[in-house]
Amino acid sequence: MFAERSLRATGRGRRGTNRLVFVLCLAAGALALLPLVLVLFYLLTEGLKAWSPAFLVSPPGGITSKSGGAMNAIVGTLEMTGLGLAIAAPVGLAVALYVTEYREGRLAIAVRTAVDLVAGVPSIVIGLFVYSLVVVTMGHFSGLAGAIALSLVMLPIIARTSEEMFKIVPRRLREGTMALAMPRWRAIVAVYIPTVASGIVTGIVLAVARAVGETAPLLFTALGSNFVVTDLNRPMSALPLYMFQNALNIGFPAARERAWAAALTLVAMVLIFNVLGRWLANRNGLEGR
Amino acid sequence: MIAIAEAPAVRQTVPAMQAAFDVAHLNAYYGARQAVRDVTFTARQQAVTAIIGPSGSGKSTVLRALNRMLEVVPSARIEGRILFHGVDIYAPEIDPAAVRRTIGMVFQQPNPFPTMSIYDNVAAAARFNGLVKGRAQADELVERCLGQAALWDEVKDSLGKSGASLSGGQQQRLCIARALAVNPEAILMDEPCSALDPIATLQIEQLARDLARSYAIIIVTHNMQQAARVSDDTVFMSVDEQRAGFVVEIGPTAEIFTNPKNRTTEDYITGRFG
Repeated sequence: MFAERSLRATGRGRRGTNRLVFVLCLAAGALALLPLVLVLFYLLTEGLKAWSPAFLVSPPGGITSKSGGAMNAIVGTLEMTGLGLAIAAPVGLAVALYVTEYREGRLAIAVRTAVDLVAGVPSIVIGLFVYSLVVVTMGHFSGLAGAIALSLVMLPIIARTSEEMFKIVPRRLREGTMALAMPRWRAIVAVYIPTVASGIVTGIVLAVARAVGETAPLLFTALGSNFVVTDLNRPMSALPLYMFQNALNIGFPAARERAWAAALTLVAMVLIFNVLGRWLANRNGLEGR
Repeated sequence: MIAIAEAPAVRQTVPAMQAAFDVAHLNAYYGARQAVRDVTFTARQQAVTAIIGPSGSGKSTVLRALNRMLEVVPSARIEGRILFHGVDIYAPEIDPAAVRRTIGMVFQQPNPFPTMSIYDNVAAAARFNGLVKGRAQADELVERCLGQAALWDEVKDSLGKSGASLSGGQQQRLCIARALAVNPEAILMDEPCSALDPIATLQIEQLARDLARSYAIIIVTHNMQQAARVSDDTVFMSVDEQRAGFVVEIGPTAEIFTNPKNRTTEDYITGRFG
């Protein structure tokens, strides 16, 4: 009798509250999804107007011309992001290893604080810094300066995510390597990095996704160019710069459509890189965890 | 399986030459707290020594002091003397890595390297320590160690599979094979069966007996039946009011389990506490 009554008594009010919270969460979830859906919708409807395979491999035409593509921007983005990543990934990984595996003394804390500070610096300030350091020294704008600026955008993201990953290497694996008298660098290369590879790659993908869309650090480093340039010593375009310059031409619908097409290309590139990275990480990551 | 009656005859004191480990007045601290108080015992070569006792009695702390794995805990510190075959393993000229290579360790949770194949789990550390060169030597080593760990027949056709794909008991035997691969002279086992089912437990126990023909084995366990089944000698530890572990009684396993001298030992063994 008692049990039955108390069982029934808890039922109704609780279920009502549960339902209310559930609906609220659902609504919040839908609300969060809405901007994403809208962005993708606009990107596709507007972006596809000027987009074609030829858009990818054609140099830009005049402002008013209907033809002309973004090859200059795509080449620039690939080169500068690639070089930036080639700088930021090993350095970021090394910083993460230093502050987790080799943390001796106060320098590690200083390094970590410095990385956090760089992460907090607005990207236009990074651009300004590279401008005064590289552009002024070299005497001209260049893709190299752009790549260095992008590497500074990526470095703290890669360092920080890798650091978090090294922290979660299970203690029993660390003890395993120590009990076998593995030298520390061997343990890092053969056990720790493979164990958390997927997380490190996720950090790299995030960093690239962020850098590839950066405009501000490129404005006064790579500057932009209407020519298809592969020489890193010369000013270069990049997809965000291309979008920025084309979108500013308010009176010219063709230019605005090109900006949308470039945006679509940019998002597609990030997506492809993301899938590629994940595939790579899973291929030699943890199977039986 | 080893019956208690078959355990070696009574042996009062071990001459220093015969002892693999000779531990004298070992005190261990974590920060300010004393975890182990004045532990003295010897462990024979080619024998299984069990360290038993309730939780918190410092069994694992003592074990980890024996191959210098304790000092990787930043706050840990020890006093006292530990000789391995007459050599003070805490002497300044001793390399901790060399100690760990000579005195292997198997952990409570099987910890094969999950991204490595079964083959590489065994071969990697030996390669890194320069013990094998080339494919043929490595093949030979892998087969020998997996054979010694009674795992070869089960995995010989799937050496390329991930070490993590094995069952718990197989993983633990893989870890034993891996420990054997760096040519140790003694093996420390820290509750090696506590994560395993009864059948896998018996396999590991049998393995410990087999390995004792060539190595000094020290096994920490809180399972008294296990200690009785597997060990030649037993170190019984308990914990005092200050939460520090200490040795209550040491002796041949047969004697400790049938005729304990100490009341605490008797109570523990008969299940009245712990």
